[in-house]
Amino acid sequence: MIADIIDDNVDRIRIDIINLGLTYEPLVDDVLDHLCCMVEENMENGDSFENSYAKAFISIGDNRLPELQHQTLLLLNKKHQKMKKLTYFLGLASAIILLFGAISKHMHWPGAGIELTLGLLVIILGFLPLYLIVTYREQTDKKSIIYPVVAYLTIAFLLTAAVFRIQHWPAARIVTTIGLAILIIGFVPLYIVNAFQKARKGKVNPAYIILLLVGVAIIALMFNVRFGKEALDTYRNEAILNESRIFETEHQIQLIIDSAIENEHKALDEIQEIHAEAENLQKMIDEMLDKLLASVNEEGSSLEELRKMDYEGAGRDVIVKSGWARDFITSARKFRNNLTEIVDDPVTVNQIQDHLEFTGSVWFMEFGPEEVIYDPVIKIYYKHTDVSKGIALAEYVAISSLMDSE
Amino acid sequence: MIANDLLKGTLRTIVLKLLADNRRMYGYEITKKVEELSDGKIVLTFGALYPVLHKLEADGHIKTDIEYIGKRVRKYYTLTEVGRSWAERKVDEFFDFVNTLTYVLKPTPA
Repeated sequence: MIADIIDDNVDRIRIDIINLGLTYEPLVDDVLDHLCCMVEENMENGDSFENSYAKAFISIGDNRLPELQHQTLLLLNKKHQKMKKLTYFLGLASAIILLFGAISKHMHWPGAGIELTLGLLVIILGFLPLYLIVTYREQTDKKSIIYPVVAYLTIAFLLTAAVFRIQHWPAARIVTTIGLAILIIGFVPLYIVNAFQKARKGKVNPAYIILLLVGVAIIALMFNVRFGKEALDTYRNEAILNESRIFETEHQIQLIIDSAIENEHKALDEIQEIHAEAENLQKMIDEMLDKLLASVNEEGSSLEELRKMDYEGAGRDVIVKSGWARDFITSARKFRNNLTEIVDDPVTVNQIQDHLEFTGSVWFMEFGPEEVIYDPVIKIYYKHTDVSKGIALAEYVAISSLMDSE
Repeated sequence: MIANDLLKGTLRTIVLKLLADNRRMYGYEITKKVEELSDGKIVLTFGALYPVLHKLEADGHIKTDIEYIGKRVRKYYTLTEVGRSWAERKVDEFFDFVNTLTYVLKPTPA
């Protein structure tokens, strides 16, 4: 009896199912039988056909049948499954490569930079696009291509910036800025809108938004943390201190020279020669400092202004413009050699070497132009004053020693 | 009710085990059986069940026999030979997993 009633309505149920968006024939058969069983069970409990059918139909929900078909077809799609496997593989591979790179970097093994770069490239060019394509395909309701594309661009740019930084390539700053810009004006608003749309469907999860905002803050901080306000202030204070020391030393030097002239000291020629050379070096430094300040503000900034207008990456601009190092370091090395030749006392020679430490290859390797590319102006300014102080002290030590030598 | 994300990975094993114990079953029967065995704690929606059944069929682990119930078709799912040994392995694997999990999650004596 019940079976007959259902059988009379089978065609109608089939049409209803197809109208709901289910077209894959093998699934239609499954769902049709499933629905009929539900109706049958309800009718056995005494409900009418219409009531039972309505209940069964409501339990399906509007979106469930297209979703069912979509998921089934994706599971059966070998190409999609292969792509999914490849995505997992690439994700795993990049993670392993990055881990090796991180260990290598930590242990100072060779090849760390290449490993990290390779790992990030696998993510940018392999894993990430595949992952977004796979998740995009698996979505059923209201697909939007904008979201995955913006997400891809954001992550790709930020990771590319990381590659540039690891490899010390120029333009890292620009890539970082572009990445952060896309993140802030593209991804974040989209994400929040998306989250609220989901929230309206009852899948509220404000934790994700907070998490995202924290993530943004961390990324933004990461790129600025190297030179916080305190570090910049320390450089400024030390630079000011150095300048007063230079002033004091130069005053003492002048006193010695005056006295040498007055007494017609026998080393007067040597003293004056040294002083001329040192003065020349100090002039070079002053010129470099002027250019340094002018690079921040064309009208020539004060140290205080400089501190406010400082920016990371200024080092490169200034070094390129000022030609810091090459000419200067050549002259400074000549100065050092002259001093150590003229002065006999070994302890004084050692002192001179120490004051002119910046002419040594280790110092140059660690603090030379290659290393200050990402330094802020104030740090480079400080280094200049440090070098200037070293020259003044070396000069002082050398001429004092010459004065005492008799 | 057991949360959906807990069920996700085990659905295939549940279906395989049921088919190993019951020779042949149709979709609705599987959902009912699972509900009965789990005391109503596990409710398989057809949205979760049929993709798994079709995937298992495509991979050659199960096959279908068709029977007509009036005008409609009922598909009975049966394990293939390959599917049978695979089902045993999967169930063993699962028990192994549950034992490990029990060990990991059991309260440690103070």
